[in-house]
Amino acid sequence: MHVTLQVKRFNPEAPEPKPYQQEYFLEVEEHFTVLDTLIKVREEVDETLALRCSCRASICGSCAMRINGHAALACKTKLSGVMDPHGHVKVEPVGNMPVIKDLVADMKPFWDKVRAVEPWLQPQGPEPEHEYIAPNEAMIHLTGVMACIMCGACVSDCTVLEVDSNFLGPAALAKAYRFVADPRDDASPTRLRALEQYGGVWDCTRCYECVQVCPKGVDPMGRIMALRDKAVHVGLDQTIGARHTEVFTESVRHSGTLDELRLAIKTPGIFNIPAQLSQLRWVGLRAMLKGKMPPIFHKSIPGLRHVRRIFEKVEGQP
Amino acid sequence: MPEHDVLVIGAGLAGMRAALAASRAGADTALVTKVHPVRSHSNAAQGGINAALTDRGDDWEDHAFNTVKGSDWLGDQDAIEVMCREAGDAIIELEHMGVVFNRDEEGRLGTRRFGGQERARTFFVADITGQAMLQVLYEKVLKARVRAYEEWFVTSLAMEDGVCQGVVALELRTGQLHLIKAKAVILATGGAGRVYEPTTNGLIVTGDGMALAYRAGAPLMDMEMVQYHPTTLKGNGVLITEAARGEGAYLLNAKGERFMERYAPKMMELASRDVVSRAEQTEINEGRGVDGCVLLDLRHLGRELIETKLGYIKEVVTDFLSIDLADRPIPIRPGNHYIMGGIKTDVQGATPVPGLYAAGECACVSVHGGNRLGANSLLDTIIFGRRAGEAAAAYAREMDRPSISESIIAKTQEEMSSFLARDANGDSAAKIRLTMGQVMTDHVAVFRDEAGMQIALKTVRELKARYACLAVQDKGRVFNTSMLFTLELGFMLDVAEVSCVSALARKESRGAHYRTDLPERDDVNWLKHSLVYASPEGPRIDSAPVTITQWPPQRRVY
Amino acid sequence: MKYAFFPGCVSRGGCPELYPAALKVCDLLGIELEELRSASCTGAGVLQEKNRKLGDTLNARTFAMAERLGLPIMTICSTCQGVMGQAKKRLDEDEKYRSEINQILAEEGLEYQGKVVVKHLLWILVEEVGVEKMKALVKVPLQGMKLAPFYGCYLLRPTDALGFDETPERQTSLETVIEALGGDPVDFRGKTKCCGFPILTINERNSLTMVANHTLEAKGNGAEAMVTPCPLCHLNLDGFQGKAASQRGKEINLPILHLPQLVGLAFGVSPKELGMQRHLVSTDVVITRLSARAKG
Repeated sequence: MHVTLQVKRFNPEAPEPKPYQQEYFLEVEEHFTVLDTLIKVREEVDETLALRCSCRASICGSCAMRINGHAALACKTKLSGVMDPHGHVKVEPVGNMPVIKDLVADMKPFWDKVRAVEPWLQPQGPEPEHEYIAPNEAMIHLTGVMACIMCGACVSDCTVLEVDSNFLGPAALAKAYRFVADPRDDASPTRLRALEQYGGVWDCTRCYECVQVCPKGVDPMGRIMALRDKAVHVGLDQTIGARHTEVFTESVRHSGTLDELRLAIKTPGIFNIPAQLSQLRWVGLRAMLKGKMPPIFHKSIPGLRHVRRIFEKVEGQP
Repeated sequence: MPEHDVLVIGAGLAGMRAALAASRAGADTALVTKVHPVRSHSNAAQGGINAALTDRGDDWEDHAFNTVKGSDWLGDQDAIEVMCREAGDAIIELEHMGVVFNRDEEGRLGTRRFGGQERARTFFVADITGQAMLQVLYEKVLKARVRAYEEWFVTSLAMEDGVCQGVVALELRTGQLHLIKAKAVILATGGAGRVYEPTTNGLIVTGDGMALAYRAGAPLMDMEMVQYHPTTLKGNGVLITEAARGEGAYLLNAKGERFMERYAPKMMELASRDVVSRAEQTEINEGRGVDGCVLLDLRHLGRELIETKLGYIKEVVTDFLSIDLADRPIPIRPGNHYIMGGIKTDVQGATPVPGLYAAGECACVSVHGGNRLGANSLLDTIIFGRRAGEAAAAYAREMDRPSISESIIAKTQEEMSSFLARDANGDSAAKIRLTMGQVMTDHVAVFRDEAGMQIALKTVRELKARYACLAVQDKGRVFNTSMLFTLELGFMLDVAEVSCVSALARKESRGAHYRTDLPERDDVNWLKHSLVYASPEGPRIDSAPVTITQWPPQRRVY
Repeated sequence: MKYAFFPGCVSRGGCPELYPAALKVCDLLGIELEELRSASCTGAGVLQEKNRKLGDTLNARTFAMAERLGLPIMTICSTCQGVMGQAKKRLDEDEKYRSEINQILAEEGLEYQGKVVVKHLLWILVEEVGVEKMKALVKVPLQGMKLAPFYGCYLLRPTDALGFDETPERQTSLETVIEALGGDPVDFRGKTKCCGFPILTINERNSLTMVANHTLEAKGNGAEAMVTPCPLCHLNLDGFQGKAASQRGKEINLPILHLPQLVGLAFGVSPKELGMQRHLVSTDVVITRLSARAKG
């Protein structure tokens, strides 16, 4: 079959370096992956096309790139699954990282963030003579997070990193979770205190991009949510994010549905005058004038007692 | 100009373990790696790591004997003893570092069975053990703040008066050549799988360290011992871990028979890899194969076991063949995987060249001899990585600062310039590599004979002549992958030539080197290591004795 | 066509224009609705953060209520749809989990049997109503009006909880509807991204940067208005557009329409009935254009 690869290239040594598109039209086998195709381009058509790749078996993490706008491992992406009806496939370097050349991105920001979460086991006390005793369930659980091959796909498509490079990002946070969840690590309180700061777990916008693009099923967003939960459990419950979750849940218990006014007021705290005034000035007053406000007196749903019963039954459980 | 006490080339398991050891011993240590450490091919090791834990009644001498037998008596028994004796502590150390090893019901380290071992002593993390270990070693390297020259490619060792004083390296990011001076250099560059096509190995596994050492005067040992892994996936040749068989999977031929009964009635699917690969190839050659393959059947293991312990191979088989291996057997065949041979070292990781050390797959101590047992490679990297790091640090403590001058860069500069200066002539590195890969696969693989190996050697030499006339089309300096591949190809051709010469020289069959024209093992004449040195006239053959301690040679039957 | 209607919290709260617009459009389409008045909030992913099983139980209750009526559920909010889809997936895949939750529902006389179908109005338009019927109902053709589709994360990811394998057309359903109504969908990178609403209270700067980015990008690609099937997105894109513009230092003024409003306008419903005067970013521009077209 034939395919046209539309590759976003960049040559830093050009007189006026800027990204440009180059198309490669070639004949390939039905079972080819995007990586097979790129290698064929390099070997038979244009050896100047730069990309990173090694294992061809989705374990080394080198070949992450954006295919049709979404991050993926090129070695794991079958051409037939991504070609449009005209046989075109768009290939670009990963997002949220500077580009060195063609499909080779500078992953330094990625590695720096991973390092920032102190990604090494921090047990306290003397080491046992033999192995630490640990339940297999814990190890199996951690294997799911260890499956991360640091390919950068999640970071590439993270919508928060697009607007704020201070965010630690899904890979670093998932890595942080790996240690918080390890029964042998004793640094959780310190870790969680660091992770609840600006740039940490509460900055995730829960958009599922990282979950969607992760080639290894690591579920970075799920790990970030788990870290939030752990943070609250160790008493770090005064961040705006923690309060937001608490107030939201309370609202549903209280009336069965979300009472937005209550949420808006209680999250920053009723005594947080600057926050309240700011919202009032920008949105609150205008909304009130336009009739876009939720009703001041929020109605409960009929059958609220059933909802309360569910809260009791489920939250009462371990 | 950068300068260190100990410079480690390659940041896979052996390299990072060496760097940690050297750093802990107080040496100013740095890593030079052509890819980011976690991209190293160690991450592709799947099944597990062997160790005999004495506190649970296991016996390291049993592990050692299995290894000696697996090596077909070509392994040096003193080195094997060292490795097996120190294995128990090494596993515990890895666990303390944070590796998320599988556990038994009591929360202690769990094991699985593996090839060539009579007792289950393989510790594992699902089927991603290599990756899990590599990530943890990287964490330790980060914590220890070991300097890493990342995406720097070593083009030659910096030799002065026969002593290694550092390396010349190409900084891929800028295209600049550098001399990095060091009192001691440790090569930990891995295997040379890309000399063959197909191979389980990633594209970066190009025998760099072996060629570097060879060119610098170090001998390469047992280079004819190339392992064909019994279970590589049909099509792209990706590795399917031995752990599948360790957990109980069967090998079946077209008739649905567990054919290993005829070749290794006692150990069956868990005989040593060379025995299993030859068995499979025989079945295929004699018409009992399925489309050039045999079948690996995991159905009876059950979905839950597969998902918790073999999740990665399930992913790979689904991705590449759209088969659910809990429902159907999968087509596999022997595939190039590992090279037992490498740079000759002693049990401290020292090569005969002063200042030069080696560890991991690129080294040959030899602990694997004629055939490596599964799960012994990961162990090899950790034990000898550590030893080489300690030894290099101790050596560096006694040495003066290197005196070598920057003018040594000129030679590499010239080589690169000549590739760049030439105009395209229709030939390419890719074509040469493919031809080399195919001829090596045809003649220096599972079954060999004189005529075939001669063809391979002749072809490799022709390819070397073609190589000298290659033109690199990418004239840029920044991240010139074309130049990188061309330089790597040069290394591969050296390794290929040495393997052919070694294979022709060994007039017997032993371990993975099986000659249909000389099918018997000949302990009288050939119980020795093959050595190859570089010389102006070409590869020069020599030999070295095998160290026997406790286990005199016996017939090898599984 | 009859559906159990789940309007969600915001369509009667912060976006009160959405609820009547949805009802009106369904009326015109001949879709009969029976509202699940005693259904609770889906949890929006926020409640699930605190306690996922709690969220799943609340949603299982809603599903069971619809099953008791023998009706599929219609949602009008991307977030409701996404959260419900994920809950349903977890419940459907784990028998033990499902029966644990059913034990709790039993006290109310409810049981989730795994039969219910949950569909967003957007998908119903494309899959049940169909392009031809939509075209036939158009009284005020949009005549190539440039509209930027903004899906909302939860209607796009994760794909395995949204039925994309079986029904890949869902990925471009918003463009399909825009075209069927006579509009011209504007392509822009932001259309599948996050509007920033979930972090509005936590990191307002980032949230508003997202709003500014997407609206300005759409505008820069020629969009005259944006249309979204998610009222939470609407709250951010419309409600906070002014603040986002101020933060960016640049005027935006891009009207944001709810999906049922766009459909309603094309079907000839008056803007007032669709609550368009309630938006914080004036929709006058859209209304004027359409009335000019209607006359002309």
